[in-house]
Amino acid sequence: MTQAYDIAIIGGGIMGCGTALRVAKGGMRPIVLDQGDLGQGASGVNAGTLSLQIKRVKLMPYALKGHAEWESIGDAVGFRKTGGYTVAFTEREAELLHERQTLKAEAGAPITFVSNNALRAAEPHLSHKVRAASYCPDDGYANSSLTGQYYRAQLRDNGIDYKERAAVTTIAGSAGGFELGTSKGVISATRVLLAAGAWLKPLAALLDVELPVQARINTVSVTERMPPLTSTVIGHATGLLTMKQKANGTVLVGGGWQGRGMPQEGRGEVLSSSVAPNLALAQYALPDLAKARVLRSWTGFEANVPDFYPLAGALSGVEDAYVLGCVRGGYTIGPYIGKLMGDYILGREPELPLFDPGRDFTKDVI
Amino acid sequence: MIRLVPNQSDSIQRAPLVDFTFNGRIISGHMGEAVFTALTRAGVLHLRDAPADGAPRGAFCCMGLCQECVVEIAGNSVESCRQPLSEGLAVLSVTRGKHG
Amino acid sequence: MAEPFDIAVLGAGPAGANAALEASRLGCRVVMIDEQSHAGGQVWRAKSAAVLSAPETPETSAGNQLRKAVSQSAIAHLGDARVWQIEQVPEGWSLQILVGGRSETIIAKALVLATGAREFVQPIPGWTLPGVIGLAGATSLMKQALMPPGHRTVVSGSGPLVFFVASEIRRLGGTVAAVVTPNSRMDWIGALPSMCRRPDLMWRGMVWMADLMLARVPIFWRHAVSDVRGEDAVSSVQISKLGPDWTPLRTVKTVTSDSVCLGNGLIPALEAAQLAGLEITHAPELGGWVPKVAKDGSTNLRGVFMCGDGVGIRGASAAEIHGKLAGLSAAEFTGKQVGLQKNRLYARYAAASSFGLAMTALSVPRPGLEKLATPQTIMCRCESLSRDQLLHEIEAGAASTNAVKSGLRAGMGPCGGKFCQTAIARLVASTKGLEEGAVPPHTARPPLRPVPVSALAGDFAYSDLPIPKPAPL
Repeated sequence: MTQAYDIAIIGGGIMGCGTALRVAKGGMRPIVLDQGDLGQGASGVNAGTLSLQIKRVKLMPYALKGHAEWESIGDAVGFRKTGGYTVAFTEREAELLHERQTLKAEAGAPITFVSNNALRAAEPHLSHKVRAASYCPDDGYANSSLTGQYYRAQLRDNGIDYKERAAVTTIAGSAGGFELGTSKGVISATRVLLAAGAWLKPLAALLDVELPVQARINTVSVTERMPPLTSTVIGHATGLLTMKQKANGTVLVGGGWQGRGMPQEGRGEVLSSSVAPNLALAQYALPDLAKARVLRSWTGFEANVPDFYPLAGALSGVEDAYVLGCVRGGYTIGPYIGKLMGDYILGREPELPLFDPGRDFTKDVI
Repeated sequence: MIRLVPNQSDSIQRAPLVDFTFNGRIISGHMGEAVFTALTRAGVLHLRDAPADGAPRGAFCCMGLCQECVVEIAGNSVESCRQPLSEGLAVLSVTRGKHG
Repeated sequence: MAEPFDIAVLGAGPAGANAALEASRLGCRVVMIDEQSHAGGQVWRAKSAAVLSAPETPETSAGNQLRKAVSQSAIAHLGDARVWQIEQVPEGWSLQILVGGRSETIIAKALVLATGAREFVQPIPGWTLPGVIGLAGATSLMKQALMPPGHRTVVSGSGPLVFFVASEIRRLGGTVAAVVTPNSRMDWIGALPSMCRRPDLMWRGMVWMADLMLARVPIFWRHAVSDVRGEDAVSSVQISKLGPDWTPLRTVKTVTSDSVCLGNGLIPALEAAQLAGLEITHAPELGGWVPKVAKDGSTNLRGVFMCGDGVGIRGASAAEIHGKLAGLSAAEFTGKQVGLQKNRLYARYAAASSFGLAMTALSVPRPGLEKLATPQTIMCRCESLSRDQLLHEIEAGAASTNAVKSGLRAGMGPCGGKFCQTAIARLVASTKGLEEGAVPPHTARPPLRPVPVSALAGDFAYSDLPIPKPAPL
């Protein structure tokens, strides 16, 4: 005998769990299904950077709200508002920094440009080769590896069912809903939300919908514990470096350097040809990092569609099916856009507009 | 007493002794041996404190895997079970990350 | 770009060195990479440069013979080199190697993984105290430095290693305070039929035991060290009687000592195989999780071969033969004719394995052993995580080693989980009522060993960094 849920949410990352919490609060009975453990996809392996300086201009209102969400979660996810500097080492990068950060400031992020003296006073270990820098006091980080632990507790405390290691292999429409075949039995639900990140494409294909989802394979590395080297989040004008030292002394280095692999094969491979320049750039910015030993490098699949804006709304062509994902800056924005999605599913007007998954991705329509 | 396994410790020839320091204390060891074996012979087993709880730690796996015997030499983290001893080597306990 | 080799062999122990020798003999261009300066692996580890001369042992003779063969061969032997990453490339396989503080690339058409074993040590109260070393660690110490671990040592663990270590301590002038083993005399009698295949080793073992008895060293059969005490270092240990499934029953004795050797069997070192992409499977009789490898060392990955204890703990003699098989298979892959040479080795491999597997069977921990860990016992040494903390996380829903790692950092420290993941997987399995085979080790990540940022960065000019286009605005 299968139980009927109001909604089956496929994908137990930040967005799936965030939506589940919202619809449950609104009176629905959701179930969250994940092919692995909760929060072990991009939600749990990204660099945890919460920086407004690397958010897309048009997503800034969502990012500001996302920051507030993480801040309210606080210690449970290791949230720290440290402030962050973005640095430029060449004239061209300085121009880029100025152009891009000005637009982000106009979009509402409290970003200012700072003098080299101010930068050195705040970050004495940073390279003296910095030519220009911007600062955002709201920037910081959270500990992405706590995502699973946090949402597992949230689902449990709110009485929400979830199944881990339950890959969805079939979705059949039935009278008044869907029947989902999973590795842990059949699940019936009135609605379905696809929130499976980089695995959205094969999942949507189960409903005969083609989503043009691709994945970037971002690399992150972490060092052993080091003496205090930096107290803020450090970024690079191109966005190709994010770096922060955690409270325990380890230094986390990211910046979107690409590994290889396919989400379907379940294995993202680290490429030494990406790790080496990523760490070289980090060492260039923070010379004392040279003596740190890298303990671990890994990759995470970051899903996107051709216009690099989110998929968030009703899945075109299938009644009562929804999709949420492909949010650039998804870690920051995730908890907030999950709430918006939940409101939409509950039939309420979301506070900020969603992003029609049926739009023409080749045109600039956002 | 009859020994089926003879004590052969006297028939082992070792390289000359050299001095090095551990946290400033002068210790001698044989040139070219692993730093940790020289420290062990000198009775220095406590090499560092665990960063998370401050408990004493020393060499454990003796083959470069466990990282328990890591010491600091010239600012670098070095496995003392793999670091050959040389005259005047200044070896320090790792104190990194104690603030966390 | 580095010059491509026909075959890169990772590990220079009995398996790796024999693989390299066979392939080289057949005319392959072979590079053999190992962390140690000299070939021999852990079992035939060479003495350090600080030992000018010492009496020969069967281990040093076997090692010297191997080292001589390697030095007389055309093998490019890269010692003091640590592989930190393995990647498939169009030419075959690329290895990133840390050597002399720099990271270098080696490319080969075929890869032979001969990464050997490491030790499982059951966590017990006080096992993190200075003065406690692994049982295999003690062999490494004594083989390289020809010195005992302390003045007065308790030697505790399963299988034959515990008697070898005790005997070596006595040979090198140390005192054995006690030998403690979870095995019973009956366990050993049960292993006799397999041991008869190696009368030489059986004889050595009997000499070790007889010597200990003559010296009145207490041997505690079916016991374990249940607590190590001391302030800054070991001062005493408690010994407990074990039940038939090795559950600790009661403390029977306190022994003073300044050093303790602890070990509960070897486990295959898998990380390199996992990074290369080999599938793994659970085989308790082989020491735990093992990669899927055929008896001739071939795998389902093109150009990847694996041999020795890394594919299951069968011991040094089996590893030598398996190494030859893998070397032949790899040579065959690169286009050499090997004819029937492999066929002649299979029977010898099976015979040698039978002895090794009997020893492994004595060492494999029984389910009760994990009860030696009390709620406060540290399980993850790097992050000082207690059994209680882990249990709480598992009970809160973390049902895999990856989930426990993410939630608590168990396995994120400098050792990368090498000394906690077996015990943690076992705890997940027993708490969740799962088979151990349903709880695989956490996902392997590079680097295989810690690598300094400076080595990764190398000498570079900022303008040469391949910085891609910035992300969309």
